[in-house]
Amino acid sequence: MVKKLSYTPREAMAVSASRLIKNGDRVIVGTGLPLVAAILAKHTHARDAILIMEAGPYDGYPLALPSCVADPRGFYRVPLICDPVQLMGQFLQKGRIDVGFLGGAQIDKYGNVNSTCIGDYRHPQVRLEGSGGASDIAALARRFYIIIAHEARRLVERVDYLTSPGWQCYRDFSSRKLVRREELGLRGGPEAVVTTMGIMKFDQDTKEMYVAEYFAHLGITPDMIKENTGFKIDVSRAVPAEPPTGEELDILRTLVDPEGIFMN
Amino acid sequence: MKTSKRMSLSEAVALIPDGATVVFGGWTVTRKPMAAVYEIIRQGKKNLHLVSNPGGPENDLLIGAGCIRLCETNYIGHEVLGHPYCFRRYYEKGGLDRTGYLHDDWTVQTGALRLLAGAMGVPFMPTLSLRGTDIINPEYDLLAPHRGKDPKVPRQKVQVMNDPFWGEGEVVLVPALKPDFAIIHVQMVGEEGTVRIYGGPFLDYYAAMAARTTIVTAEYITSEDYLRSQPELNVIPKEVVDVIVEVPFGAHPTTLAGMYDTDSAFFNEYVAASKSELAFKKWLSEWVLEIPDHMCYLEKLGVRRLLSLRADPALGYNAALKRRKKEPQEKTLATG
Repeated sequence: MVKKLSYTPREAMAVSASRLIKNGDRVIVGTGLPLVAAILAKHTHARDAILIMEAGPYDGYPLALPSCVADPRGFYRVPLICDPVQLMGQFLQKGRIDVGFLGGAQIDKYGNVNSTCIGDYRHPQVRLEGSGGASDIAALARRFYIIIAHEARRLVERVDYLTSPGWQCYRDFSSRKLVRREELGLRGGPEAVVTTMGIMKFDQDTKEMYVAEYFAHLGITPDMIKENTGFKIDVSRAVPAEPPTGEELDILRTLVDPEGIFMN
Repeated sequence: MKTSKRMSLSEAVALIPDGATVVFGGWTVTRKPMAAVYEIIRQGKKNLHLVSNPGGPENDLLIGAGCIRLCETNYIGHEVLGHPYCFRRYYEKGGLDRTGYLHDDWTVQTGALRLLAGAMGVPFMPTLSLRGTDIINPEYDLLAPHRGKDPKVPRQKVQVMNDPFWGEGEVVLVPALKPDFAIIHVQMVGEEGTVRIYGGPFLDYYAAMAARTTIVTAEYITSEDYLRSQPELNVIPKEVVDVIVEVPFGAHPTTLAGMYDTDSAFFNEYVAASKSELAFKKWLSEWVLEIPDHMCYLEKLGVRRLLSLRADPALGYNAALKRRKKEPQEKTLATG
């Protein structure tokens, strides 16, 4: 009899996100769960992934979890330190970044992300920190993923402010009409959204978000996802997600974030 | 022929006039010129205009202290250490007429390219970023009323144009940044101004090249001769450095690679106080306004506290440091 593993939705989210990184991918990560997921991937199935942080560390494999992308922990024994003109203006812009990971306060059904404000931009209820490099990564990485807590106030029909472009975004601002990102000449696009309830993907034709996998192992059902999503979401293709393994959880807790910087 | 570039911190900061455009070195909570920032507040500077780089506690403090008229930036925050409550308060109340604060949103890449243009002496740079986003939505250009009137504000935010050379579609032109002052804190500067930075240089070279005047505060002022023994570690040439000031622990409470780590407890107290105007003012009096100079600040922190932050030179950080655990996710995010 195998002992049943116990873990949090946040841990399931970090493990699911790490599995999206392929061995050899050039990954640009921001502070928080993206960093956790990328380092976990390097410790497990993607040892040759190149971990890049926009402030400067190139091909990092830190001993201790950096608390931000400029933390000296991220610079430990990197083969090269770059600057943001090089990493964001050259590597990213030239198409040398395979994967980007973003967080955010809101995401809409086309994968547009808001990390700027809640409410009207001119008079918001809450002003957030701002884009950082998220908007650039969404525009220019070959593919990107979003990590966000699954709540109806976060997964919304239309974001209050479009910080980072998804599949359909603005050309004409006064009409607020959405156009496909290819028409704007943007590269890549969001491939999946990892939430506390499962993994969402985007329909090939409509580019609308649907439920691809749900965390059945955490007691999540497709109906629960519907209830906690702020727009109509298709669950017809949903299958139960593969739960985290004991090894993944062990590495996450003892090697990646033993201090509980981002996982607590 | 050579005149000394050495000054005291108060003399250096006194060079900055009200209304100046300033770019700070470092990155969010790493290698920020905090001692200089405290001195700017003590000297009561007004209407400063901050540009580029992801801002951290220096932006939040200066906004809260009423020193800032506008920020052109891509981020203001303390990373995992908490939200920038002074910035929030000033932004949420909105606009010059209400709080005297204006904000202009950008991205890391475009901020970097704008500084690069400034460093190159060209008026703008093209980018493939920004398209499709509200960052270039003209309705959200909070600086629109000042464009074409204030010579320090670009006449327009961006210009979209078609690639005239290769026919590869639309690009967005972003204006150069032309800061009056760059203020940078580093580990070491030579007595003639050559700058050595350990760890990430971030955008500091471009900032120094773009700025009219560069003030460097450093843990050590050392001999130029010593810096010539490993020139590959030096990142900013002396000719663009105008003023040098020796300021030990000059980046506290932020991190300085190889020297000292983040003072998380200090951040916790600051972030808690910054949640209300009243508590913030009390904090500001206690830690900035009533402190005559940087040496008194270090005395107030105390030897034990400063030594507890020291980095392990083998790692570049302090592995024994108790780092703060994250607050529950974004409690203040409104349900809409």
